Order: sequence, then C-alpha cells, then structure tokens
Amino acid sequence: MQKTLPYTQENPWAPPPSPAAGATGSPVTPAADVKAGMLSKAVAENPVVVLGLRGCCMVHVVRRLLQGQGVNPTVCEVGDDAEAAALAGEIAGDGGKEGGAQQEIQLPAVFIGGSLVGGLDRLMAVHISGELVPILRDAGALWL
Amino acid sequence: MNIESITMVELRRMGMYDANHQIGMWADCLKAESSQNTSSSAILEEQDGGMENLSEDARLGIVGPSKPYEQEESKPSDKVIRRLAQNREAAKKSRLRKKAYIQQLELSRIKLVQLEQEVDKVRHQGVYIGEHIDNSIIGYSGSINPGIAAFELEYGHWIEEQNRQICELRAALQGSASDIELGILVENVMKHYDDLFRMKSIAAKSDVFYIVSGLWKASAERFFLWIGGFRPSGLLKVLSPQLNPLTEQQLMAVYNLQQSSQQAEDALSQGLDKLQQTLSETIAADPLSASGMTNYMGQMGQAMGKLEALVSFVDQADHLRQETLQQMYQILKTRQAARGLLALGDYLQRLRALSSLWAARPRERIQDY
Repeated sequence: MQKTLPYTQENPWAPPPSPAAGATGSPVTPAADVKAGMLSKAVAENPVVVLGLRGCCMVHVVRRLLQGQGVNPTVCEVGDDAEAAALAGEIAGDGGKEGGAQQEIQLPAVFIGGSLVGGLDRLMAVHISGELVPILRDAGALWL
Repeated sequence: MNIESITMVELRRMGMYDANHQIGMWADCLKAESSQNTSSSAILEEQDGGMENLSEDARLGIVGPSKPYEQEESKPSDKVIRRLAQNREAAKKSRLRKKAYIQQLELSRIKLVQLEQEVDKVRHQGVYIGEHIDNSIIGYSGSINPGIAAFELEYGHWIEEQNRQICELRAALQGSASDIELGILVENVMKHYDDLFRMKSIAAKSDVFYIVSGLWKASAERFFLWIGGFRPSGLLKVLSPQLNPLTEQQLMAVYNLQQSSQQAEDALSQGLDKLQQTLSETIAADPLSASGMTNYMGQMGQAMGKLEALVSFVDQADHLRQETLQQMYQILKTRQAARGLLALGDYLQRLRALSSLWAARPRERIQDY
C-alpha cells in the first residue's frame, strides 16, 4: 500500500532527496517556494503524481483508480487551497511564459509523465474512453 | 330451590334479555347510520328511552319477588332502588358513548377509503410528491425545502417527456424510420438525460442526503441504488444482450466499458467508505469524559466540513453515468444506439410499473367492529 508522502520522502521512483530538501521534510508546513520546487521535482521524477488536500477522500478515489490499473502513484499533500494555488502557478510558470494567468487547479490533481492531466473528472473521462492505459504506458508507469 | 335462587335466576335472565336487546339496538343503529347519518342520534334517543322504560318495568316486576331476600334489611331497599337507578343511568351513558364512538369510527373508515383511493391514483400517475411530503419537502423542522420541491415537480415533467420519447423511439424502430430520423431521436434522448443530471446536481446542493438516498425514485428503482442512481456497469450488464448483433470490435468495446465502469465504481465506493470512516471518527467521543463536551462544537464543525465532500461524490457518480452513456453512444451505430436507449427507457419504465403494482397490492384490511 502506497503511503501518502508529504514533500520530501524517498520513494522507489526518485533518487534519494538532497540534504537541503531533507532538512525541511517534516509534515509541518515548510516555506511555499521550497514546496513548489519539491512538487516540480516530484512531478519530474515520478511518472504518476497525485496532488491533493490532506485528509481528502477524493484523493483516496484517485489512488484506488490508478492502483486498479497497476500503477503506484506518488501522493503529495497540501494543507489548504492557497498552497495548492501557489503550486499550480509555479507549475504553469515552468512550462509557459512568465506573466501568464495563474491556472485554476482543481484538487485532487493528477500528473502523468510530468504534465498535468487534470482533476478526477478528467481522469474518469480518460479512463472510461480507454485512453488512460496508453497514457500510463507512454509515461512508463506500467510494468507491461 | 328456594325463593332467593329463583330471584337470582330471574335477575340474570333479565340481564341477558337486556344485553340481547341492546345488541339488536346497535345493529339497527348501524343500519340507520349508514343510510341516514343525520337523524340517527334522534332515533337512538327514542329507542333508548323506550328501552329504559321496558327495563324499568321489568325491574319493578322483579323487585317484588326479591323482597323476601331483602326483607332481612328493610332500610337497604331504598338504597337498592337508588343503586339500581344509578346503574341504569351509568348504563345509559355508557351506551350513548359507545354509539358515538362507533359513529366516529364509521366516518373515519369512509375517509380512510377515500384517502387510499387518492393515493393510489396519484401513484399511478408516477408523481410522488404526496408520498414524500413527510420525509423530504417538509423536513424535521417542519419547513418546506423549496429546492427539493422544485426538483420533484421538474422530475414529474421529466418522466412524462421520457415516456413520450420512449413511445417515439419504439414507433420509429418498428416502422421504417431512416437513420437520420433515428439520429435526431437519439440525440434528443441523450440531451434529456443531460437535463436530468443537471437537475440532480442543483438539487444535491439543496439537500445532498435526499439525492444520495434516491428519494424521488420509485421503490423498485431504489432497490438498485448506488450513490444517488443506478450503477452504470449494472445497467450495461442487463441491457447489452439486447444490442445484438454487434461486431467483434463492438463486443470488445462494450465489455471493456463495463470493466472500466466497474473499476471506477469501486474506486468511488472505497472513497465513500473512507468518508464514512472519517466522519464517524470525527463525530464520536466518550460521552462521559469532560473533553468530550468541550470539543463538541469543534467536532461538529469538522464533521460539517466532511459532509461537504458528499456533494462531490454525487457529482462524480453522475459524471461517471454520463461518461458511460456517451461512450456507448460512441461505440454504437445510430440504429443500435436507438435500440439501446429504447431498451434502457423501457427497463426503467418496467421498474416503475413494478413499484406501483407492489404499492397497490391487496393487503388484509383491519376488521370492523
């Protein structure tokens, strides 16, 4: 069973965390920019990442759905929506130009192969239409 | 046999005569009531008065022979007479009360039959507003939830339109409608289902428990309830045999859809289980501990936050239903889609009809007095 990770912990997909990251690795909320950086790192290093509010039951739904496809997702938790919005801006800023409008991110959010797929709505739609498995395979998330 | 025992026998026989006569009187009163409600009480008085005279005479007749029994105490004879008079009065009052009670029962019974007929009539129309007044529109506080009242009204219209569309589909498929015509009908039915999901989403914000419990549905529909509606995989299992003939590719696609839906349903169910778990953990506390009481409002506040998630679950479940419907629309050709939607609509109609039959089935009536 995949445990949910607050920002630092080592996981089978990623290399061991750097000492700086490890220092701020407690469940108590660290500085926002450090967290943002860590989210980017997690997304870049893990094929499947789920971002969600702490204690949210929908995160559980997303995790179960992905596990049903044979995937072990990395789960990142935030304390509240403000932190999530900050992270979303950071992620969008990474890919796009500066000064672009901050994306409204819907939690829980699913990242596959380094890019944002969407919320549970989108995940369901992609799953029902049969597109989820190819996406997962392309991202190298499946063993097959 | 001495005089005393003869007297007792006569007294007893007198009592029996009284009782029989009274029963006969009641029977007459009942007949009188059913034919003529107004003047029955007048008739009762008259007959009762006559009855009383009779018994008085009879009793006077009896006092004679009983005298030897009473002679041992001459004073008590006055007491006895007064006692007998009091008994007569009490018995008369009791009879009157009994008659009034029976009259009321009769009226109530007539009213009950009328109400039952009304309820059956409303049920057959497929609108359940009357039934639900108790448990949904008027909540425990006694106030009407307008959002839910509006939903039930709209749902009644939705069902009417649904029935009309089913008839149209059936006629088109049995006749020789072109694929284009069928395509239009299919699109209308799809849009109609979209309307229902939209209505449900709005109503869920008004009262999520009402939606989750499927209270607007017929009883047999509610038997299959899963998060405020049917399981998409369940409906697929029931209806896909009716879609034959399908190509190999289509068969695979339908089977995969069934599997995917099942997986999504399981994920949602497990999430809901988790919600139940966290909710009960949030709410529960040791009733005897001091901290239990001080944390009360805090716990309630937390629990309220958790309950918000229920709305998301209803939305996600309906979203899954919509996605599954859309995917079937993708997989099937026009004519097949028309047959599929007809099968779905017909199946739901049958469940509703079953519910009505079950509700109207003959049951043992409460015996009249």
